[in-house]
Amino acid sequence: MALLSTARPDLPETASTAAQTRRRNRRSPLTSERRSVKISAWITVGVFGGFALLPVYWLLATSLTPRTSVFTYPPSIFPARPTFEAYRALTENAALFGYLRNSIIVSVVTALLSVVVSASMAYSFSKYRYRGRRSLMYLVLASQMFPQALLLVTLYAVFSAYGLLNTYSALVLSFTTFTLPLCVWMLKGFFDTIPNELIEAARVDGASPLRIYVTIVLPLAAPGIVAAGLFAFVRAWNDFIFALTLAGPDKQTLPPGLVNTFIGEAATAWPELMAASLVVSLPVAIAFIALQRFLVGGLTAGAVKG
Amino acid sequence: MLQEVTRQAQPRRRLGSRLGEKTFAVLMTLPGLALLAAVVVYPLVAALVSAFYKQSLLFPGREFVGLDNVRAVLNDNFSQLLTQTLVFTVGTTLLPFVIGFGLALALNTRIRGAKVLRGVMLIPWLVPGVVVSFLWMWIFNANYGVLNAILQGLGIIDDPQAWLAKPGTAMAAVIVAKSWQSFPWMMVMLLAGLQTVPRELHEAAEMDGAGVIRRFRSITVPHLKGIIGLVILLEIIWNFQHFDIIYVLTGGGPAGSTQTFATAVYETAFRSYDLGRAGALGLLWMLLLMVLVVVYIRFTEAGEE
Repeated sequence: MALLSTARPDLPETASTAAQTRRRNRRSPLTSERRSVKISAWITVGVFGGFALLPVYWLLATSLTPRTSVFTYPPSIFPARPTFEAYRALTENAALFGYLRNSIIVSVVTALLSVVVSASMAYSFSKYRYRGRRSLMYLVLASQMFPQALLLVTLYAVFSAYGLLNTYSALVLSFTTFTLPLCVWMLKGFFDTIPNELIEAARVDGASPLRIYVTIVLPLAAPGIVAAGLFAFVRAWNDFIFALTLAGPDKQTLPPGLVNTFIGEAATAWPELMAASLVVSLPVAIAFIALQRFLVGGLTAGAVKG
Repeated sequence: MLQEVTRQAQPRRRLGSRLGEKTFAVLMTLPGLALLAAVVVYPLVAALVSAFYKQSLLFPGREFVGLDNVRAVLNDNFSQLLTQTLVFTVGTTLLPFVIGFGLALALNTRIRGAKVLRGVMLIPWLVPGVVVSFLWMWIFNANYGVLNAILQGLGIIDDPQAWLAKPGTAMAAVIVAKSWQSFPWMMVMLLAGLQTVPRELHEAAEMDGAGVIRRFRSITVPHLKGIIGLVILLEIIWNFQHFDIIYVLTGGGPAGSTQTFATAVYETAFRSYDLGRAGALGLLWMLLLMVLVVVYIRFTEAGEE
């Protein structure tokens, strides 16, 4: 016991001195190269980072510019008298609240439907082996790559025939064309990480497959299910083409709603449009901050895009 | 005796339960498959079938016309449409790749603030497509746009330009806007790939006197081959059918110079109401896309085994 406690403090010390000598040896001949790597890294970050972030700054700055002074050239890079009048104007626009309500309803329902349907499918793909499984998996994968504009042609005709045009159902059903494959592949990745032994043990204890799925697998995959649901929510929230075409102004979501409200007028209300743009992007940003942990894993597993 | 009975009974029970398990597994896929069949497979097939009919979105009924629609589409500026789609696809794949790879490499070094910057650079990716369009529409604005102001200030242009209203610059503008949205995704994927490159490999090569460029070519690139192929292939597939940003930013104009398959199919179906022609365009579009999707599936299969 005593021997151990005296030996222990030694260990990190020797390790750190070894690391120090290694670092010292390495530093001397290569400092100039290290420095040039760092400098080129900073130049890259400066140039590409400027391309990435200056437009974001411009979005923010314009949204704070008074409505009248936005029509001056050259524009002032810093708004002289920042104002929240554009944001105030948004809150007085009843039509926008209608679009917002539609967006929330449609995105939430799409996310719930996609997760429920895709979880069982993903579980089957992940934990069972049967003939045709691979083909089905690739059908699901390929189906997210079919052009939306083409699907829309028939969807429009079908929804029209069943009287579903301009309903929430039409939007939810059309959104599942891209959320379902995405959720299936993401959730399959999560189910793959659940050890088979766990399921095997429950099976030996006599639990039915459905019971195993509901009481053991689903709770374990809960974080993955939340992540997939958030992804589906974001994709539904961002959709433009389906919502533009399958719904009229009273059922449309924010993306086509904003186009209707602001684009095509003689003088676009840029500060208001930029303010609205910022507000529309917020839920997505919040969802992604929540998702950060799953981002890369989920992306590579399902090969999906936000 | 007793032993024999259990030995016989056991395999049978296992077989029986396994059949039950298989039925369960198949049942679990049914709701999803039914939904996909209804909203993806059927609409796709029906749209492609309409290529062979004269059919309007506004009136019921149709008439079989064989390959007339395909012929009409091929004779009507098809090569221009194909060229523009390819220019858009290549541009919106290469530009984000260069930016994304550059940033991934830069932020994989130990410069100060790399971690924070990795997060901040994701912002453009979080912006919905329509918002990307609004923002760049404002930046490119001919009368009050900030781009004109900057370029004039730097002395690069003499007079403000109408970037989105001239065929020469409209396509470039659309490509820049789309690239702005998608480079962070490239960056994230490539950064994830870079972090799997063992540091020891770089250190060993450094000891042996390999310079930065040599190490990049002989260690980094070979390690990232798989992920580079994947991101480029996926971007090509997505950009080949991209709609939102083009449609809002230019509407395919001016003079059809930013029209791609996606916007052309949409316009043909929902502006000209010509389902036959839209189907014919879609058919040609799908043929090209299928090649890419098959390559992609081969690619993922190769990666899995």
